[in-house]
Amino acid sequence: MPLDYPIHQRTLDNGLRVVVSPDHSVPTVTVNLWVNVGSRHEREGKTGFAHLFEHLMFQGSRNVAEGEHFSRLMAQGARLNATTWFDRTNYFETVPTGAYELALWMEADRHGYLLDAVNQGNLDNQRDVVKEEKRQRYDNRPYGHALEEVYAAVFPAGHPYHHSTIGSMADLDAASLEDVHDFFRRYYGPNNTVLTLVGDVTAQDGLAAAERYFGHLPASAESSRGPVEPLEPLAAPVRVELTEDVPSNRLYLAFRLPVAGSPEFDAAELAMDLLGGLATSRLYRRIVRREQIATSVSRTAMGLVDGTSLGLLVADVSDDVDPDAVEEAVCEELVRLGEEGPTDVEMETLLNDTERWWLSALASHDERADTISQYTLLHDDPQYVNTYLDKVGAMTPERIRDVAARWLTPQCRAVVAYRKEAGA
Amino acid sequence: MSTPARPDVAPPEPWAFPAPAEHRLSNGMRALVYRLPGQHVASTRIALPSLLSGEPRSREGVASIVSRTMDEGTRSHTGEELAELFERNGIGLGAGVTEQGLVVEVEATTARLGRALELTTECLGEPVFDGTEVRRHVRQRLSEIDHERAGAASRAALEWARTFYTDDSRGSRPTAGARDTVEPIESADCASYHRSWVRPEGGTVVVAGDVDDAAVVDELERTIGAWDAEPASTATDLADARDVRDPQSQRIVFVDRPGSVQTEMYVGTLGPNRRAEGGWAAYPALSFVLGGSPGARVDALLREEKGYTYGMRTVFRPRRHDGVFVAAGSVRGDVTAESLELLVGVLESAAEGFTQEETRSAIDYIGMTAPARYATADAVADEAVRLRLDGLGTGFVTDYLQQVRDLTPERLQEAWAAVVGSWTTVLVGDAEQHADAVRALGLGEVTVIA
Repeated sequence: MPLDYPIHQRTLDNGLRVVVSPDHSVPTVTVNLWVNVGSRHEREGKTGFAHLFEHLMFQGSRNVAEGEHFSRLMAQGARLNATTWFDRTNYFETVPTGAYELALWMEADRHGYLLDAVNQGNLDNQRDVVKEEKRQRYDNRPYGHALEEVYAAVFPAGHPYHHSTIGSMADLDAASLEDVHDFFRRYYGPNNTVLTLVGDVTAQDGLAAAERYFGHLPASAESSRGPVEPLEPLAAPVRVELTEDVPSNRLYLAFRLPVAGSPEFDAAELAMDLLGGLATSRLYRRIVRREQIATSVSRTAMGLVDGTSLGLLVADVSDDVDPDAVEEAVCEELVRLGEEGPTDVEMETLLNDTERWWLSALASHDERADTISQYTLLHDDPQYVNTYLDKVGAMTPERIRDVAARWLTPQCRAVVAYRKEAGA
Repeated sequence: MSTPARPDVAPPEPWAFPAPAEHRLSNGMRALVYRLPGQHVASTRIALPSLLSGEPRSREGVASIVSRTMDEGTRSHTGEELAELFERNGIGLGAGVTEQGLVVEVEATTARLGRALELTTECLGEPVFDGTEVRRHVRQRLSEIDHERAGAASRAALEWARTFYTDDSRGSRPTAGARDTVEPIESADCASYHRSWVRPEGGTVVVAGDVDDAAVVDELERTIGAWDAEPASTATDLADARDVRDPQSQRIVFVDRPGSVQTEMYVGTLGPNRRAEGGWAAYPALSFVLGGSPGARVDALLREEKGYTYGMRTVFRPRRHDGVFVAAGSVRGDVTAESLELLVGVLESAAEGFTQEETRSAIDYIGMTAPARYATADAVADEAVRLRLDGLGTGFVTDYLQQVRDLTPERLQEAWAAVVGSWTTVLVGDAEQHADAVRALGLGEVTVIA
């Protein structure tokens, strides 16, 4: 179906890119900021910093007291948070219409004047909180380090995606207040940021409010570097074997993929769906349903902007089945997709499944705003929310086959294999 | 240019949960249609009051296996054919079982809603429970059990229920069944459960999305409304058994995980259900004030002051009869005992009362976030089904939000006083390192288990 979410955009004199997408169906406004800084910008010895910094953004700024960002906005009916990823850091809140200007004012204060409030006490405290986040999400759960292993296997040392967003605790320990100041001055500023408003606000009011609250901030961020050179697919398989106290033998098969925003990445994403993202996907049908050598299979296509993206297939091996048999079956299906592209039914399935999840994703103001910010900041394409389904509709089975034949071959896989400890 | 002044906030207009159009389908099922402009994906939920008491004790988990295999083959199509029919039409299907009943979830663009309802009705009405598919789903559930046992948070929740309720209470055991009762489940068990308890009687179908009410009712009559199960051979009502708290449950169970760098804490007690005397409104407010944000009492101390945790949460979970209150989260291993003492201290000292400011922030947060929390078709449909299975309509939301506005610190204190204390605690972490320190707190008997 053709989509027509309204998109109004303007760049302020200080470089802030503003997008307003009015939708008056619910009396709320989502305020969403994407800053062009993520773990890909971290230098050796400074890993984990973009994420630690995100935590500090909640510790107060020139005119906002410590903890007030959460407490004041929540007391106005806001649901809010922030996340850090390889490519960017985002900050967002959905508030009742009457509170959106307060949200903008508070965001502008921390995006402009964070450093007035950062001190050794809140740096130390948030460093401790981040360490607990790492313990909870990585160290203290089965397979918790799998993705770190995958990134290190797929991307060479020194590459922006070689290390995870959570980073190294030793690096965090070494972080000083001076590092915090340098980081802010370098990356934070309206000229390195996108602001999106979605919801119960007119284009005129939204753009005027953006100017009112952000217009006075100087274009303080340093100019950002261009993307690093794309990588070719891995030349030969890479393998990491881990024996741990895990509930099932599990295989992660990872691949380099084309850069996000390219037509090749769109094709690769659909190829991943076809392999492992559906109940009718080729791997689910074969290894879970028919041969029952795996109890589950899933896929991820991480679109990334620094030259190269990442594709991941994950399979839990059935008890008493040799993991090698599962890996072999997966490799056979990879080869087959590169030879026999999608059938007509598979193409119909990909199109209709994509239509549903895309519309579901855009159903809420907050996710719609996040998607608009993403494509505006990273791909300069705020209209993407309206055009993506047309791109999928124009996809051909040959393009999916060809991208699989080049990027998703057994030869260019990196495998992280977990085996259960004996007797476990 | 100078910094602009902090803007004032205009208070929001009053808000009410969307009102459904209600119908009675020809097979007796209740239909609720929520028309939500701009929601291009329609969310359909079918809720059946299939209580867990319908499961034989030796086959607990069969209701869940039934919910997972109804779409794995019918008299008209094989499982693979059905999967293809759903997916090539872009229809998402899921089903599961809770303490309150069986819920089928269907997501489809509004244009494909009719097809989605046809296929869903086929799965509900004529599943064959093919032996191979049932065995496959049994094996998948067994694997899931291993994974639930391996995760610290899921293990804590399982162990807590086992400790908190008497062995005779179904609530003491996993909703989707444990290894010994899931392993023997066969096709005949599924067919028998389905025949007896997956029936239109007492069921509700909810449709939310940018749909036309009359057109949806026509589609429902043509599909779900024509689902007419054979008369049950044993026409008995399901026992609505009440889970009972174990009188010995006021203690601490420490699940030993040698080498754990964190300890998962799960501290809880009895709580109200949605029909609580004095109204439900106080309980979401207490959740918010105690453990609903980084500034709430628990995290203000354990996270923002001490840095011991990434974050802990408190929640009141309403159930059919008695609900529960739970505070849960993980802390750095070497501060296990101190953290438990601090957590219990925060919960118990709250009995001394809440400030006007805390009460105000809870009132404002709960009331003012409602429009955004219920802005999408799936959120509306989920809430409608949750409440329907508890015998309530979505007017409940509007009513309790009204009550929230009248909350006072005194009401919160009174509500909390009826809950606080007599904790059942589960810790999952390195017992050899930390159990003695926990014992030394004197908070109750400590049992270490593997």
